[in-house]
This record gives sequence, structure tokens and C-alpha cells, in this order.
Amino acid sequence: MTAIIRPTSALRVYIDGKDEVIVESGKTVRETLVTLKIKPELIALVVVAGEIKPKDYIIQEGDIVKVLAVIGGG
Amino acid sequence: MNGYGGSILRVDLATGNIYKKPTPVKLAQDFIGGRGFGAYYLFKEVPQGADPLGPENKLFISSGPLSGLMIPGAGKCDFTTKSPLTGGYASASMGGHFTAEMKYAGIDSIILEGISSKPVYLLIDNETIELRDASNYWGKGTIAVEKELKEKFGEEYQVALIGPGGENLVPYACINHDFGRQAGRGGVGTVMGAKKLKAIVIHGTRSIPVADVKAYRTAGRALYKACKEADFLSEWTRYGTTVVTSWCDEVGALPTRNFSAGSYEDGKNLYGPVMREKIVITDKGCFGCPSPCGKYSRSKKYGSYVEGPEYETIGLMGSNLGISDIEAVAHANLLADDLGIDSISTGNAIGWAMECYEKGIFNKSDTDGLDLKFGNIEATFEMISKIARKEGLGVLLAEGVKKASKKVGKGSEKFAIHVKGMEQSAYATHNATAMLLAYMTCDVGAHHNRSWAITYDLQVGRDLVVPEKVARVIWLQNFRPMFDVLGGCRLQWVELGIDRDLYVPALEAITGIHRTWDDLEKVGERIWNLTRLFWARENPGFDRQWDLPAPRFYEDAPRSGATKGQITKFEDVNTLLDMYYEQRGWTNNGLPSPEKLKLMNLTEFLV
Repeated sequence: MTAIIRPTSALRVYIDGKDEVIVESGKTVRETLVTLKIKPELIALVVVAGEIKPKDYIIQEGDIVKVLAVIGGG
Repeated sequence: MNGYGGSILRVDLATGNIYKKPTPVKLAQDFIGGRGFGAYYLFKEVPQGADPLGPENKLFISSGPLSGLMIPGAGKCDFTTKSPLTGGYASASMGGHFTAEMKYAGIDSIILEGISSKPVYLLIDNETIELRDASNYWGKGTIAVEKELKEKFGEEYQVALIGPGGENLVPYACINHDFGRQAGRGGVGTVMGAKKLKAIVIHGTRSIPVADVKAYRTAGRALYKACKEADFLSEWTRYGTTVVTSWCDEVGALPTRNFSAGSYEDGKNLYGPVMREKIVITDKGCFGCPSPCGKYSRSKKYGSYVEGPEYETIGLMGSNLGISDIEAVAHANLLADDLGIDSISTGNAIGWAMECYEKGIFNKSDTDGLDLKFGNIEATFEMISKIARKEGLGVLLAEGVKKASKKVGKGSEKFAIHVKGMEQSAYATHNATAMLLAYMTCDVGAHHNRSWAITYDLQVGRDLVVPEKVARVIWLQNFRPMFDVLGGCRLQWVELGIDRDLYVPALEAITGIHRTWDDLEKVGERIWNLTRLFWARENPGFDRQWDLPAPRFYEDAPRSGATKGQITKFEDVNTLLDMYYEQRGWTNNGLPSPEKLKLMNLTEFLV
């Protein structure tokens, strides 16, 4: 029961420089981010299959969860 | 000279004298272009103590070596002048297509000097350059006049122009272009209005010399490829800067009711996806842009079409005024654009007036009978018009919140949200010390785009006051404005996260000069120190007091939202400044030390 977290490039430092990381499904995005030691408040956008999801979205099996942090700024 | 249009155009509005001279090679070597050219010319050519609205002040419009070439976002144009809003340095960056036409007309900078005796516009059509009568356009809004000029000359002609706000010398008037792009901040449009210059129409057909065409194509392609392959290209393109609206609300950075809080209870109605669904018609980009952040919108309710609103306008004309109707924000955006006033300063001024009204400092006899409560949409529309036309309460608000609050007194200075007289852009900074310092020390006043450090606050701890935060702010101040020097857009780096080193071979291929980002940051630091000198030269007694933020951020904690009860201590504000000055090599009063100026090779600029 796994899914994939695919963070924006600025967050890859939290996952050893990789493009993506395999995580367990069944947890919220927020819980999963904490597990990965990524502060949820850094995340501006969560996208699954092209749809925006809240951070409390429960990750489903096979999901590819894109998480965007605005590190560079406006 | 490779990468340059090759000439500096001077236009004396008083005499009608117009001439070009070759762009000095040393100027290009030392200051590169754009903002760098503007800072150099401002310091050298505007005499000490010049009235910002007088004949001695000048407006410098500059492209950069990337402008007009096939590099992502290479459509940025810098407008520099002595600010009528702050009395210090003003530099506003504008996207669109204007700067590309400058290069195609063989021009790197346009220097506007003197004051015309009647309204005119400047036509630049390759070598045909002349001032023409603009009496028929004076008094009209920017949208109608740009349309008229486009119809008169042709779609390929680019127009930069002012609205009634600039004509009426509102000190935060902007310059408009392409029906929705602005050089927004610091009153660059006011200076154009003071010179009675309604518009510049420009068209060129020349090519730009490039040092190594093959390498330029290779480097340009690499940049575009990186943009096209970026993870979040589709999301950034879909929402543009409104991606951050919900995030700012969540973390307490969304200005709410004159920055009294950083989260808005009705903020959801303003979020990017809501706006996209309700009002956005299509995306709109600038020259050479692979990730168009502009959103062209329609409000059925108000019958308006507008480019925007983007995040800053949503923050200042939405939540900051207690307005949660995205269609109303879009219409307010259109009014400000058409009248030619900066939506950030305007939203601040109206927010300040609304707080005065709710606190009983103003009553209806002060507000021309308007019930100026937060959330009053119709009153907001009225006030935008009154500011631009300087009518009723608009006369006071048109002075900006620093001067207006000094006149009104009664404690209203405490909630006038500005630094150095420039109203703060749309990030509430009650408990975000790096972002607060970025606003305090920004070279034009409280603007975000030099150093956007708020995520760094969240990464390392938002109330921490440590040297690393200060170093981050300084690094961003030296680095980010270099995009405005080069004539390119920073958002491909900011939003798409492309590797900034991809610009290095592109710049070398274009100019024939190898510069690393270390080299470029040194130029950025030099310009930063020069603009600081300008502030000190123009404002006797300039010292650290000028760098203090609005008291709201160290005295008045939000009563709701994500930052409820949180505040930055005043002693921390001072500690931040101490650290900043030390790391900058400045005195403890915030002035570049003689040693620092020598190190920066700026001693020739000492008065």
C-alpha cells in the first residue's frame, strides 16, 4: 500500500536529493510530510492527478502526490 | 557592443531637444544594464536636493543585455527616478514587450529630462523620434488611450503611458503597458506626469548583436527546456502568483484589515483556484515567457475585463480592505490600472483610512459621506477614483500613509504601514523576522521583490533573530535584483526552480563577457550600496530611524488567525538592524563606511 511523494526541486534536500520518495498510503499529506521532516507550513500547493488537495487529504494507494513549496518567493 | 541596443536616448521635454549617444562601454562593464544603469544615472545626473516633480529630476528607462532576446522572460524594463513618494531612490520593474522594442530601436536607456509646457507623447520609430501633441489623450484612462495609440500606429508598436493619477501628480502613480502591466511603485508615473509626458510609443526593427550566435541558441534552448520540464509548470501557469494566496492565509502573512492580522476569515473566497474558476478567461505572458503568470479576467457582476488581479492586489485590495469578493477585487484592480495608480499603495491608503473611520478618528464629514467601513466595496471603488483625481478625502490619501498619518495624528501613525514612506506590499510580518528585515532595509521602501525571505522564516524558525537570517536577506538583496539589471524575469527561477547557473552561458554568449553569479552578486552589492548613498545624500539626517518598520509589527499583535498574539519585540528589531549593518559593512547608523565604499569602488560617488 504505497504512494509517491514528488516535491518541488527546492524540497529535494529533505529526501536526499531524489526526485521522489515512496511512502505509505493511508496517512494524510500533512502527516507524511512530518514523517519526511518537511514542515507542512512550507507547502503552498498539493496536487494529485491534476487536482488541488488539502494537506489533510488521505493519500490513496498509487497516488502521485506533488507538493510545491514557494522557496524563491514572489 | 554585443547584447546592447548601442545608444542612450536623451529627450529634453522643455526644449524638445532629442539626441542619441553611444552607450558607454565602461557603464556596461560596471553596471551591466537595467537597474544598474538607472542607479548610476540617477546618482550622477539628478542634482542633490532636486524636487522630484521639478525639471531637474529625470526618469531613466533602461533595458538589459538579456532584453529582447530569446531567453525566458527577457521582457523586463527598469524605471528609475527620485521618488516623489519617499524622497529617495525609486526603481520599478515592468514586464511586457516594451523593453524588447527599445532594443530593436537600438536604445539601451531613455533619459527623460525637463518639463514640457503642454501634454505630449514621445514617438520612437527606429530613427524617427519626435514629441507629439497629446492634448487629446490628457485626462483619459490608460486602457482607452493605449487602445487608441495601438489603433493609430499598429499592434506591433508598444506603449507605456500614465493615467489621470500621474497627470494629477498622485505620488504613487504608476506607468502602464500592454493593458495590464505596470511599473508600479515609488511614483515613476508621477514623474512622467510632472513632465507632462502622457505616453511613449515605440517600435524598432533592428537586430541585436550577439557575441556567439551558436552558443546563444544552445544556452537559450537549455533555459527553455528547463522551464518546459519543470515539475510545476502547469500549476504555476494555471494560477500565477495567486498560488500563494491560500498559503499566506494559512501562515498568517495575508494582510487583513490594514495588516491588523495575517489571516482572513473569508480568505477562501480569494484563493487562486476560486479566482481561476470564477473569473479567469485566459493566461497572458510577457515577451519570451514560457510560464505566463498573467491572468486575464472578466467580472460579469461589474462588467469589467482586467489583467489580474495578481497576489499583491488580492492582498491589498481584498483581505486588507475586508473584501472577500474576487470580482470586486478584479474591478478595483481595473479602476486602479485605468486611473494609473499603484494598487499596493492605494490598497494601503484605503485600509489606513478604513481603520481611522472604524476607530472614530474619521467620521462621515471626513469621508465625503462614505461609510468607510472595512468590507464596503462601493466605498472602495469611490476612494480609488477620489485618490486618482485628488477629490475630497482622496487629497489626503493621495499623499501616502506616512504623510497622511502625520497630518491626522491621533495615533494613526501607529497603523500607517510603510517603511521610508513607501506602503508595505502584501506580506504581514508580525512574526517573520527575516521578511520584516527585508522590508525594513529594501532600497525603495517596504517592497518585497528584492528579498522575499518569508519561507526562510518558516524553515528556520520565524521568531529567531540570528546572523544566518540576516545573511540570507542580504544575499537575496544582492542576487534577486540582478534580474532587473539583466532585463530578465526572476519568476522562472522563483517559481519553476530552474538552475540559475543556466543563465551564465547565455549571458556570456550574448555579451561575450564571462560572468559567474558570484561576479553578478558583486555588481548587485555595488548597486545596493550606491542606492543607499543616494538616500543619505537626498535626506539630511538619514539614519537607522528610517529603517524602522510600522509599529504595528512590534506593538500590536493580531487578535486572530495563524499569528494570533505573536509579535516581534522592538529590541529584536534593533538587533536585526545591528546585525544587518555589521554584515553590510555599514556604520551603526546605517551608512556605508568609507572602507566599504572603497571596497565597492564607489568613492567617486561621495559628495
